[in-house]
Amino acid sequence: MSSTSVYPTPINAFKQSKRSVLSVIVDNEPGILARIVGLFSGRGYNIEALNVTVVDIKDNLSRITIETLGEEKVISQIIAQLEKLVPVHNATNLANLSESYEAEICLVKIKFENDEQDQKILNFADIYRSRTVQKRQNIVVYEISGTSERINKFLDDLNTIGGIKVELVRSGPIGLGI
Amino acid sequence: MSIENEFTGAEILLKALKDQDVETIFGYPGGAVLPIYDAIFGQNFLKHVLVRQEAGAVHAAEGYARSSGKVGVLLVTSGPGVTNVVTGLTDALMDSIPIICISGQVPSHLIGTDAFQECDTTGITRPCTKHNYLVKDVSKLSETIHEAFKIASSGRPGPVLIDIPKDVQFAKSKYIPKNKVNFRKHRIKAGSKSVDKNFVQELVNHIKNSERPIFYVGGGCLNSGPQASQELIKLVNKTNIPITTTLHGLGCFPGEDKSSLGMLGMHGNYEANLAMNKCDLMINVGARFDDRVTGRLDAFSPNSVKFHIDIDQSSINKNVKVDFHTNTDITLTLKEINSFIESNNIELEKKDYNKWWGQINDWRKKECLHYEQGDEVIKPQHAISRLYELTSQKDTFITTEVGQHQMWAAQYYKFSKPNRWITSGGLGTMGFGMPAAVGAQMANPHSLVIDIAGEASFLMNIQEIATAVQYKLPIKIFILNNEYMGMVRQWQELLHGSRYSESYVDALPDFKKLAESFNAVGVRAKKVSDLDDTINEMVSIDRPVIADIWVDKKENCFPMIPSGAAHHEMLLSKYDKENPENQEKGKVLV
Repeated sequence: MSSTSVYPTPINAFKQSKRSVLSVIVDNEPGILARIVGLFSGRGYNIEALNVTVVDIKDNLSRITIETLGEEKVISQIIAQLEKLVPVHNATNLANLSESYEAEICLVKIKFENDEQDQKILNFADIYRSRTVQKRQNIVVYEISGTSERINKFLDDLNTIGGIKVELVRSGPIGLGI
Repeated sequence: MSIENEFTGAEILLKALKDQDVETIFGYPGGAVLPIYDAIFGQNFLKHVLVRQEAGAVHAAEGYARSSGKVGVLLVTSGPGVTNVVTGLTDALMDSIPIICISGQVPSHLIGTDAFQECDTTGITRPCTKHNYLVKDVSKLSETIHEAFKIASSGRPGPVLIDIPKDVQFAKSKYIPKNKVNFRKHRIKAGSKSVDKNFVQELVNHIKNSERPIFYVGGGCLNSGPQASQELIKLVNKTNIPITTTLHGLGCFPGEDKSSLGMLGMHGNYEANLAMNKCDLMINVGARFDDRVTGRLDAFSPNSVKFHIDIDQSSINKNVKVDFHTNTDITLTLKEINSFIESNNIELEKKDYNKWWGQINDWRKKECLHYEQGDEVIKPQHAISRLYELTSQKDTFITTEVGQHQMWAAQYYKFSKPNRWITSGGLGTMGFGMPAAVGAQMANPHSLVIDIAGEASFLMNIQEIATAVQYKLPIKIFILNNEYMGMVRQWQELLHGSRYSESYVDALPDFKKLAESFNAVGVRAKKVSDLDDTINEMVSIDRPVIADIWVDKKENCFPMIPSGAAHHEMLLSKYDKENPENQEKGKVLV
């Protein structure tokens, strides 16, 4: 894993996994997302997370970031298959670059019952430098960014607090080679 | 822009087809393509062949493309018109055949309303085309068509579909000719234009140092053009390396040549499969390590250094990991290998691989294709052998359906030139051969076109006989009639305890009368003494002919590598006498 976060991470104990983040530049035309999703489902590959946005209005390009699981051989085959799609300019496995950065954004809504829970939540939020989006009575909403592992860790830590309710949304990882 | 320079979408389509040198189009009219049919009515450069079902149009376009090297074109209406071609598009995708399918769509304002004969054409065909388009703006139509032709025919060829709503066929715009279109490079996927010199050098070094090399040649060699075959022949003659071809590679190298080991794979030759298993250098020229070729992967050619030439990057390291590969056109690469050997005066002639050839000739003694023809019942192998003997002097194109007859055709009919063998390999589409013969005959009006068929496959697209009759296409349907779905029956015998579940085709038509009712000609051979006369009669008649050849109902196709077995675990026929273990059920594990 060569990608590092733009944010500092308090604990280094990341889980080892065979996840890869693929960055795909495509012509922004109708059906392109269906082509990519269809390729993954048709050939039995996994999509763990997916992010699509126009990144170049002049040339009408979108960048699609896909988090997937698989051995190296499978990942190379996915890239070859992606690059066969007509509207695809290129597909890159960020892990294969000498340097790349990765980030994800997550909104977490936490419902707590007492001050002790509130304190603990506040403490973790502070450690992970998450931003308070909204706080009223027994509900707090945080925004946290960083690598997916960092967000996972934050959520794991939150789960050690008993009796709270967590609802969340994640953007999926995005990344850029340098 | 003046109005005189504007054309309707339908007219633009025809202008673009003319620009692309399309002379023949296979199609079937319907509501959503009526404007295009109206434009076809008022012109004479384009010959429209009216098929009897859209499946016939797509296989005919495939047969046309394979036998001519050009792009095949078909035209179908929306809804059922286009869903009927899904099988054929998938077939063309699997077998890398360049075709363009033009489909009509309901008017733009009705899309998404579940209108009459509406279906999500681009959605349905997305996974079975190389690319597809829904043209919503008539001003984009000319460029779209030209790009479609470019995509269909370049790199690894394949089917491209263009869906045109009816209102776009009526709407007017300027026509942009082919030579005015700037293709965006990333969309064409044509492979590398320059030869990988390192690859060539490594390959020649390995050829020099190998003891047991083999060429493994596939359909990519065909798609690279006839010159690829010329360069391959040159290289094989220069190096004296044995060569085996896949089902689609047949014809890229002369089948009668002494260096040819014939076809490999599930029903490939004994010597070809064993040579693949024992080789120390494998040179893959445009083949894709299909499961029907490799058998069990972990036992596939365990001790060889593998080189792979393939224009399609995704074919490299997909099923089998190779040591060296190049994503360049085969013709260019083979040419470079030949000139590298010549310019460096590399003396390969002295390296005759005597020991290797000795070993191969020992395997050949097994005569894996041997069969015994009795006095009465026609053996299917014999029928194909005689067909070959009696037609090989003519300019012959062979198409097939799918099953035992297809494998026997591949084994016993020898091809000396590329593009003469048109079969459904990857998808294995029964009903392919007869419409493909219609297409091949359209492209080669003066040649002999024979569909080697089984009676079950033939029934799947039998309606196209009417097409052949209407356009006076003298195609020959050579049916090996065993009243069974033969390959299904064979698997049931060998792998399912002879429980012939639903593989007997009861209530068959009388094919002779059937031919007559279509205004074609029917001939029949019931016993071996009739065979030659029947074949000669069939060939001599200048009209569509159905030849109903009654063959041994229980004959099996050997050699056979059962699914999931390895190359050296071949079943041989009951005629194999060399192996003493060969007793029960006429099969042996080698």
